[in-house]
Amino acid sequence: MKAAIIYTSVTGNTSALAEIIQEKMEVKGLAADLIPADEFQKIHLNEYDIVAVGTYSWDNGEIPLEMEEIYEAFESANVKGLTTGVFGTGDSFYPYYCGAVDLFRDMLYVHTNLAVTLKVELTPQEEDLARCEKFCDRLLSEVAVFS
Amino acid sequence: MSDINQPLTKIKLLNPTYPNKATGLINGESSGLLNWNDIAYPQMYDLYQTLLANFWKAQEINMQDDIKQWDYLTETEKDIFLRINTQLASLDSLQTPTMTHVMDYVTDSSFKAIFAVIAQQEAVHNESYSYILSSLVPLREQNQRFDQAKEDPIVRKRNQLILDSYESFRENPTPQRLFELAINSINLEGIYFYAGFAFFYHLARQQKMLKTSTMISYIQRDEMQHAYFVSQFVRILLTENPELNTEENIQFVYNTIDQAVQLEKEWADYILKDIEGIDLEEFHGYVEYLANKRFRQIGLDNYYPERENPMQWIHVFSDEMMNETKSDFFEQKSRTYTKVSSSNGFDEL
Ligand SMILES: Cc1cc2nc3c(=O)[nH]c(=O)nc-3n(C[C@H](O)[C@H](O)[C@H](O)COP(=O)(O)O)c2cc1C
Repeated sequence: MKAAIIYTSVTGNTSALAEIIQEKMEVKGLAADLIPADEFQKIHLNEYDIVAVGTYSWDNGEIPLEMEEIYEAFESANVKGLTTGVFGTGDSFYPYYCGAVDLFRDMLYVHTNLAVTLKVELTPQEEDLARCEKFCDRLLSEVAVFS
Repeated sequence: MSDINQPLTKIKLLNPTYPNKATGLINGESSGLLNWNDIAYPQMYDLYQTLLANFWKAQEINMQDDIKQWDYLTETEKDIFLRINTQLASLDSLQTPTMTHVMDYVTDSSFKAIFAVIAQQEAVHNESYSYILSSLVPLREQNQRFDQAKEDPIVRKRNQLILDSYESFRENPTPQRLFELAINSINLEGIYFYAGFAFFYHLARQQKMLKTSTMISYIQRDEMQHAYFVSQFVRILLTENPELNTEENIQFVYNTIDQAVQLEKEWADYILKDIEGIDLEEFHGYVEYLANKRFRQIGLDNYYPERENPMQWIHVFSDEMMNETKSDFFEQKSRTYTKVSSSNGFDEL
């Protein structure tokens, strides 16, 4: 089984979350590739069984510019059978909390087998660890059922 | 390694022999010329553009509705409205000159440019409080209200914490004091505004004074981005100058923000006590939740118990709600997918 975590982060919150998710997956026996958005060119979505997408939100709940290409890749590739999850960090003082997670969610639901979403406020804290764990469990159990 | 207590020199406007891309936030070499395509921290260009896209001015908001409603507010509401207005205006008045002052010592031109934009926005905020006042009460009363803000012992006590730090950087602009100034600026923009915001959003919840709260919403959005920028500034300052990244300075952050938290609670207990519908205990929890966010923004751990946002109604209105007609700087892509939720068979954590 092959998994990738594709993410973007400016101030480090989303990358911290991505790393936690990677660790949790590793504990569960799955070594996932951790891929920053600017290295996305190097991979093919079709090579993977599981892809988790991580993004912060910007500008009235929008997807950051550097994630657009990745968003479009899911739309154009044939990834119906791919199990996906989307996670992100945001700030609930903005009107659309983690809006980019929602936008990815709606698209991934149509084009892939979306299993789970996760939102964290700014830097992940102690109590978020359990949620990260669930996030991974959900992805893994989905693959078991789906494939 | 630079001495953190050695005054920073006021930098020359142009240093032609130095590179355009600065070698440091402070004490760096920089020509003084700014080419946004060649900067040390490229994410600053995004932030700069985002800040500019926020541009708004008070006169764009028509106060007619609020002017009509003003007469229907209770005397207590009116009194608190005016006090909070002038108190917030006083805080913003400090920010414009301080931000421009900091510019003289920051060697990275892209950061200077952002400080300039922030100073400009603070000037707009300041004006918007005047604009609100001018729509509601005559000049004589406005002046009385400003005097009241100047004399109020609780307001003075809160401001003193910030003023001491800003003044001490003025007297002796060292890296250490710049760091302290930045933390105090986070307090000002990221903590001290919120009892005031709570009041205006509370009125808005009751459909009162919506034009004022629209302005407050613009202000909050700007302030959130300033706090984000200043946090970035602090993180980069500490990374580039490890001699500032000490146990004592981390403790300084915890102590200073905690002081601001206590002062904000004290202010809220005093100014909001007669406002029905704002639970002061809950607001105390809110301020702690808020401060935890500030700690996390600068990469530290929560200081107060972790909790959910207890007052979720204190937040920026959406663009749609603010009737924003300006097109966003970033191209708004129309999204073609229907909203889905956990009832569609996935989990939302
Ligand atoms: C200009 C700006 C706009 C933002 N807009 C939103 C938003 O609409 N929704 C949200 O949840 N967070 C918003 N945020 C907060 C960021 O998404 C949040 O700080 C995030 O944790 C940053 O992630 P990073 O550390 O991985 O870069 C915004 C932040 C900034 C500076």
